[in-house]
Amino acid sequence: MTHKIVVVYQSLLGIYGDRGNAKVLLKRLQWRGEPAELVDVEPGQPLPPDGLIYLLGGGEDQAQIAAVKQLQADGGLQAGLDAGGVLFAVCAGYQLCGRSFTVGENDEVFAGLGLLDVETRRGPQRAVGEVLTRWTRPDGGLELLTGFENHGGFTSLGSDAKPFAKVEIGVGNGTDGYDGAVQGRVIGTYPHGPILPRNPALADYLLELALGRTLGPLPRPDVNAEHDRLRAQRLEVVRTTKNRAEQTR
Amino acid sequence: MTGRGTGASIKGAIMTRVDPTLFRTLLAGKRIGVVSGTNGKTTTTHLLTAALRASVADPREVVTNPDGANLREGVVSALSTRPKAPIAALEVDEQVVADVIRHGRPEVLIMLNFSRDQLDRHHEINALGRKWRQALTEAGDEGPTVVANAKDPLVAWSAQPARKVIWVDLGTDWSQDSALCPNCGSVLGHDAAGRWDCPGCELGEQPCDYRVDGDEVVMPDGERMRLGLQVPGRFNNGNAACALAAAVEMGVYAPVAIRGMRTVQAPAGRFAIGTYGDTKARLVLAKNPAGWAESLLVMESDPVILAIDSLIADGTDVSWLWDVDYERLAGRRVIATGPRSADLAVRLSYAEVAHEVIPDVADALKGPFDGTVDVLATYSVFLRLCRMGGVDLK
Repeated sequence: MTHKIVVVYQSLLGIYGDRGNAKVLLKRLQWRGEPAELVDVEPGQPLPPDGLIYLLGGGEDQAQIAAVKQLQADGGLQAGLDAGGVLFAVCAGYQLCGRSFTVGENDEVFAGLGLLDVETRRGPQRAVGEVLTRWTRPDGGLELLTGFENHGGFTSLGSDAKPFAKVEIGVGNGTDGYDGAVQGRVIGTYPHGPILPRNPALADYLLELALGRTLGPLPRPDVNAEHDRLRAQRLEVVRTTKNRAEQTR
Repeated sequence: MTGRGTGASIKGAIMTRVDPTLFRTLLAGKRIGVVSGTNGKTTTTHLLTAALRASVADPREVVTNPDGANLREGVVSALSTRPKAPIAALEVDEQVVADVIRHGRPEVLIMLNFSRDQLDRHHEINALGRKWRQALTEAGDEGPTVVANAKDPLVAWSAQPARKVIWVDLGTDWSQDSALCPNCGSVLGHDAAGRWDCPGCELGEQPCDYRVDGDEVVMPDGERMRLGLQVPGRFNNGNAACALAAAVEMGVYAPVAIRGMRTVQAPAGRFAIGTYGDTKARLVLAKNPAGWAESLLVMESDPVILAIDSLIADGTDVSWLWDVDYERLAGRRVIATGPRSADLAVRLSYAEVAHEVIPDVADALKGPFDGTVDVLATYSVFLRLCRMGGVDLK
C-alpha cells in the first residue's frame, strides 16, 4: 500500500513554505524503501479518507477563514482521522484546528474545526523570530526543536488538549510557557521554518505514530550530516541572539 | 526596501530633513511615469527610462532613480540631481505609491505584481492593495493611467478605481500568492483558457491590451513587435511590455521605445558580469519565491551557484526555500553558498539535486569554471558580489 502524505490547501495554507514538511515526510519514507506519494488537495477537491498524515500550514486571515469553511463542507479530514490518520498543523493551521480563533484588528471571532481543545485570541504583540522549544517525546526522550514563528494570535489550552513542547526561547502559545497542543492524533504547533526539515526527529516521530511501528535510522548519511549541521547552526543562532525581536526578524 | 542605506537614500534623508516639502516640490510640474510592484521594479524602471530617453533630444531631460533607492528619500535624491528635468521615470516602493499619486500626479503608474516578500515584515499584502485603491479613488480624473498585470488578481483589484487601465498579459505564470479574491474572499476559479475569475463577485480577468508572446509583444491593434532585449528571461519581456505600454501612453512612438529598451544591459547590477580573480560570474538577483521561480529559468551554466543570506534586506525567515521548485535543477551541479547554505543544502537534498556546500562566497567563486558561471543570489549577497566584482550599481 502506498502511504499518502496529504497537503491540505497549499494555495490557502502554505505561506511559510509549509509544503516542505510534506516533502520531508515523503522522502524519509521513500529513502527507507517505503512506497509513498504526496497528495495535493485544493479547495473544492475531496480529501482522501486514507491519508497517512494530513498537513495544514500557515496562511493569512482570509485564507484561514476560507479553509475552515471548505474543510467543514468537505468532512474528509474527520473521516481521515477516524480511519487512523495523523494531523500535523502549523501556525494558522494550528489555530483553525481549535474551537475558535479571531482575525483582524476588530477581533472578529470564528469557529474552528474543534479538533483541538484550544482557543486563540489576538496577543499583545506579534510574535516574530527564531524559536527554541523542548519537546518530551511520548517515550520520555527529550528533543530540542528549532523553528521560526510569526503569528499575532495567542492560544489557550482547554482540559482536553495537552501542551506540545516547552518554550525555551520565543513566544509559542504566549499564554502558558508552552508551544502547541496535542489531542489524540492531532498535533498543532506555531513554529515553521518549515519545522520538519529543521527537526527530522519530529518528522520520524510523526511517521512512526502514523504507521504504528518504528522505523530504522535514515540510510542517508549525507542527508543526516546536513540536518546535523543545520540544527547546530540554528541552535547556536537562537541561543546567542540577545535581542530576538530585532535581530532574528 | 531596496533603497535603505544606499548613498542616495542617505543624501535624500538629509535633504528632506532640511526641507520637508522637497518631496512634493520636486515632483510638482513634471511628467511622471511610476513603476511599482514586488518583483521587477528596478529593471522595468530602467526599460521605461531608456524608452523615454530615446524619444527626447537630450537624455538628461528624463530623470530617474536607477539604483533601486525607491523610498521617499531615494526619490528626492534622484529628482534633485536634475530638478528642472521635465520628465521622470521613478521606481517607487509599494508603501510609497499612494504618496506619489497624491503629490506627483503621475501620468502613468505601472503595477507589475503583488507577491509575498519578506514574510517577517509584510504580513498582509491585501492591505497594500487597499491603500493603492484609496489613492486612485481620491485622485479621480486627475489620477494616473494604470498599466496593470492582468494575470494578478490583487493588481487587478488595486487598479479597479483608476481613471483608465491598460491591461497587460506578461506571459509569466506565478499564481501561488493569489488563491483568494481580494475583493470578497471567495476562492478564485480558472477557466479552460487559464483566465482567473471570482465566483463570488464581479472581479475577473480583463481582456488584455498588450500581450507577450515569446520575444514579441502583441500591441493593442494586433501588430507584433520584436523586443530583442539584452536582459534575459521571459519575465523581463513581460516587464518590457509594461514599460512599452507606459511609454506609448506618454506619447512615445513604439518602435522608438523598443530601440531605447534594447540598450538596457545590467540594471543596477542585475545580470552584470563580475570579475573575481580568474572567474567571471553573471549575477542574478531573486528576492522571493516568485522571483526565484523565474530566475531559475535563466540559469545556464554548469555548475550554477546559489547564494543565500538572511539579513534584514533578504528577509530573516528562509522558509521560502521550500516554495522554490529546485527540483527543476536535477541533473545539474549546484554549489550552495552564503550564510544560509546549510538550509539550502537540506532543501537541495530533498529535491534530489546534486550539490556541494562552500559556505564562504569568495571561496565558492574560486572555481575553476568553464566560461562564465551563473550566480543566483538573495539581495545582500547580490550587493556584496557586485562590489567585490567591480559591478556598477547604477
